[in-house]
Parts: sequence; C-alpha cells; structure tokens
Amino acid sequence: MDQIKKELKQPYTEYTLDMFLRSAGKDHAEIHQFNRWREEVIKAGKYTFEIPHLYAQKSEIEVQRITGEKYNLINFASYNYLGYSYHPEVLSSAKEALDTYGLGATGSPLLNGTFNLHKIFERKLAEYFGLEGYGVSLFSSGYGANIGVISAYIHKGEHVVLDRSSHASLFDGALLSQGKITLFKHNDIEHLEKVLKRISHENSRVLICTEGVYSADGDYGKVKEIVQVAKRYDAKVLVDEAHSLLLAGSNGKGVAEEQGVLEDVDLIIGTFSKSFAGVGGCLYAKEEIINYINYYARSRVFSCAIDPAVTGGLIKALELAGGSDGKIKRVKIKKNAKYFRSKLFGKVDIGTSETWIIPVIYGHERITIPLSDFLHKEGVDISLMMFPAVPKNKSRLRVFVTSEHSKEHMDKGADAILKAAKKFGFLLDD
Amino acid sequence: MTKRENIDLLVWNFDFALSTFYEIESWQVEKLLPPRIIPMEVTPGVALINITVFNFPEGGLGKLPEFQELILSIIVLPDLSRDVPKFAMYVISLSSTCQEHLDHSSDYYKLPSFKKLSFGNIDKKNINVEFGDSDGKILTMQNCNPQANYRNEKRYFQAFTTKNEVIYVADIYIRAKLFDHQQSGYTGKLFNHPFFKQLEVEDTEPVSYLQMIAAPNVLGQQIYYRPKKFI
Repeated sequence: MDQIKKELKQPYTEYTLDMFLRSAGKDHAEIHQFNRWREEVIKAGKYTFEIPHLYAQKSEIEVQRITGEKYNLINFASYNYLGYSYHPEVLSSAKEALDTYGLGATGSPLLNGTFNLHKIFERKLAEYFGLEGYGVSLFSSGYGANIGVISAYIHKGEHVVLDRSSHASLFDGALLSQGKITLFKHNDIEHLEKVLKRISHENSRVLICTEGVYSADGDYGKVKEIVQVAKRYDAKVLVDEAHSLLLAGSNGKGVAEEQGVLEDVDLIIGTFSKSFAGVGGCLYAKEEIINYINYYARSRVFSCAIDPAVTGGLIKALELAGGSDGKIKRVKIKKNAKYFRSKLFGKVDIGTSETWIIPVIYGHERITIPLSDFLHKEGVDISLMMFPAVPKNKSRLRVFVTSEHSKEHMDKGADAILKAAKKFGFLLDD
Repeated sequence: MTKRENIDLLVWNFDFALSTFYEIESWQVEKLLPPRIIPMEVTPGVALINITVFNFPEGGLGKLPEFQELILSIIVLPDLSRDVPKFAMYVISLSSTCQEHLDHSSDYYKLPSFKKLSFGNIDKKNINVEFGDSDGKILTMQNCNPQANYRNEKRYFQAFTTKNEVIYVADIYIRAKLFDHQQSGYTGKLFNHPFFKQLEVEDTEPVSYLQMIAAPNVLGQQIYYRPKKFI
C-alpha cells in the first residue's frame, strides 16, 4: 500500500458490518477483512460482541469479555420481559420434563420428535388464544416459524407485502417462498393501499406481513388498519407477535387482541425466546392451515422438535402468564417502561417508542463500539443497532425494560445513558 | 491536475458535490452489468443506483476551466482484496460540461463517457442541481435534509468500469467536509433520457436511499487512481 493510502486508512470505528458482507473476487477477502477488523476492535479493548454471561439473564448480570475482564451490569439487553427464564416454577417444570423425557427430542416433530408434552403445549396455547377451530404449530425457533410459514403459504409468483421495518426472518421467509416481494413504508397505511392497488389485479395470493411491536422503534404495528385494508383487496395478514405475546392486550394475547382484531388476522406468529424466556416459535391459525403447515413448512419438518425441558418450562410460563402472575407483570412492565421513558424524554431522542422497547437514537454508527464499551464501564448492558439494520445516522441503543427491573435499576440505567449522551454528543440540549 | 508521487494518481479539487443513492429493482440493473459484477442489494430484489454531481472550479483539474460532471453508477459488491470501501460503483454513464474532461475520462479512466452536457446548473446555496443536454433535461436533484452537519471525512470507494470488454477497477479516496443522511423527502426528478441507458426511472420514481453531500464552497479532494484490470 502506498503512503497516501496508508494516510487515508480508516480506523475500526468507520466500518459497519454491511461492508464485509461479500467481495466480488473469488478469494475469501471478506472473511480476511472482517477478521482483521474484529482483531482491531479486540486489540483496542472495545470488543463487547458475543460476550459470555456467567449466570442467568436476571436484572443484574455478570459477564466476561474476551480479554478476561468481568463486569457486573444492570441488564437492559435481554428480552426476558417477564423474568420467566429464572422463575422457580418454570425451572422446576423444566427439570421435571428433563427427568421424564431426556435431553433432546431427537427427531422431527412430523415423524418421531413429538412428545405428549408438545401436544399439551399446543393445546394450552390454543386454549389461551381461545378461538374456535384454531390450532397451533410448534417450531424450534421464531425465525424458523416465520421462514417456514411464509414459504409454505406463499408460492412462486404470489405476493408478499412487507413493512420496511420487518424483521429479517420475515424477509428471509418471503425470499424463500420465491414470491414477489413488495415493501411499504413503515406503518404507512396509505402507502400499503397504493401497493395493494397495484398488485391486486394479478389475481394471485397476497400476504401482508406486519409485527405487533417493532423491535427497532418500540412502536406498535397498525394491525387493525392493516386488516381493514387487507379485506378490501382480498389479501391475507400475518402478524409477528414476537415482542408482544404475553405482553400486549388485556390477556396478553398480543397486539391483535389489543387492537380488537384477533379473529381477523389469518396467521399469528409467536416466539418463545422473549416473554416466554425459552426458545422456539409457533403459528396460531385455523386448524386446516395448521395441518397443512405441519407437513409443508420445511424449517419445521427438517428441524428437531423443541427440546423437552424447554417445552416443560414454556408450559409453566404460559400458565403463569395466563393467570394472576401475568396480569401483575403486564401492569408492571408497562409502568416500568413509562417510568424509563419519562427519565429520558426530552433529553435524548427516543423516537416513536410506546412500549417496553425504548430506542435511544445516538446517530452516527462510528460511536457504536466506543459507546457500548463506555456503557459497560458505567455498569449497564444495553444492546445497540446500527446501519444497515437501521437508517444511516439513526444508530441506536435499545433498552429492553422488563417487569423485573426496580426503580433503582432504571434510575441507574437512565443516568448511564444520559452520561453517555453528554460524552458522545447526543444529548438533545447540546 | 496535481501530480502526486506518480502518474497513476490524480488529485481533483472540487467545491461542490451532491450524491444520491436511489433504490431500484435488481432486475433493472442486472442487465447492465458484466458477468462477475453483482449488484449490492439493500433488501432482496432491491439494488441501488448512484448519481453524483461535482463542480470542479477553474484549476480543480489541471488547466481546465470550471466545469460540472454528472456520473451514474450501479452500487455493486466491492473487491475486498484491495481494501474495504464505503461503496463500490460500476459506472455506466458519465457526462460533463467540458469535452476535454469527457475525453480524458474515457481515455485515462476507461469511463463510459456520454455526450457533452448543454447545461449544468448548480445552486450551491440551496444544494440543488439541474442537468440536461441536447436530448433534453436529464434530472433535477436536491438535498432533502435542511439540517446538514458537515464533518471532515476521509472516504474510500471503488469504481468499476468496462472498456472493450475488459473490466477495470480503480481506487478513489475522497477527503472533504461531508454529511450523509437517510432522511426521506423530495430529492428531485429523474427524466427518461438516454443518459440513464435502459433504466426506467421517470415512471418508477425511484426512492432515495441515501444522500452524501460535500459542504458547498469548501474545497474537497478526490484522489483518483488509474484503473487496473479486474482479475
């Protein structure tokens, strides 16, 4: 490299992950360059990715960086919204299932991996939602549920219409389906209608995908309005309730319940790695659709069923969330989120957040790595999102508030964010 | 032009640059790319084209008078074995108000020079431009974010091009006071014009994905290496 190129070489903070995605050459340049960048971040002592947690995902955690340094942190980075990952009754139920059924399901749910425990869970979930003639299909991940359901439901030449802010699993499902993908502006019903008007004349199946709560912005999907527009154009609606199941709605059935359209949504996707605090995913839909999906969703058929211990824990988590524990925790998480937002509102940019996910928009992606390091040193763990996952100059912290956070946790978290905002220049007063 | 170290490197001075990246269906751009050059997609099926306007003041490029340049490229996968650029571009059309510059670009940089522009109006104060030639208006383009926050930046880009069926790649460094944004808003209009080759731009009204703007009237540098064969 000549002298000028050396002078113009960028520091590690100037790179974003999209820049290492793929190289035009046939060598492995992207792998080589990515590793070089990763090593630079590690060498600078700022590497906070893939950080091992030493204990459960409680409100206070201990982590150990790649350098060996340990940090005691207040945890705002986990979506263990209701604290069920360490709830004694959930653990006890999981242990019992482990003792009875062993470690893994060791088979596809369609063939030999289904246990009666899975059937109990399916039935309990269906009862929880409560619509006559509906059922549940279980998947081993939320990602798998989205890619499996969309690619089985939509075929080549049909249409998938996605909100621009959709989760990667919805995009990947659409891609796998080989349907025609069209995007509409985030939560913009007028734009959605324009899109539907354009494609509805093709006389093919149209699936609109939205989310209950959008995880980058912490706002609600406009499910009710989407359902209304969809009916006018004979389109079907899928709602991914990953960040809203057990949380939104008076009974925790999600945003579709909250907005009064549970019966009007064709496909509801749930995730078990968030408020359920285990792992897995599901589809809730009419039984005939469930029967079909069970056979044709490839991510389900060609994956192992959810492991028994987790399934045992999930059953207990659902039982708790459907009872008084869930009611109390739903009130608490909303109260906590409101309190946390009030600590930040007007001081930093929290965007359009109206839920338990509170983004703090700090702007330029070059701040990301030093900011993450700074927050650790201030005693908090908060996840970060940067371009291209969010727009340029809209990089953000994502605070996941849980029902388990105390006022003291939130005060400390907000103080750390405001201190960081002052240091890195994203305080609104500046 | 300023000679630095060797003839493989030219330094161009500019006092205005406005660059807009537009979303476009991947199938539209794929037909304009040679084998091995692959469009970068921001979401499945959605690629990017880039249109950049420069104003080079008198003396900004050798002894040439002040002139304006208009470049159209497709954003493609970079060659990371060279280094990691902000973006890699495959240039498909280049116009200029200066014929000498067009000839030089074709000869030295192997760029696909289009015919001379008949006008290139740049309003530096309001950051908007209007370009056209004897076939009519090509485009209008404007910044849609009034809250520009310029910073001194160094950027690395790669420019691919094809001449006589040979693919070339060049390294380009920009040193300037820059501002990028993804604010949505009106960024101007693209007209159906031969400059856009076979891209359908007028009826589809491509959405702006990103804008990069150099602080007007502040001299920036484009350090542009001679292209090499892409192997």
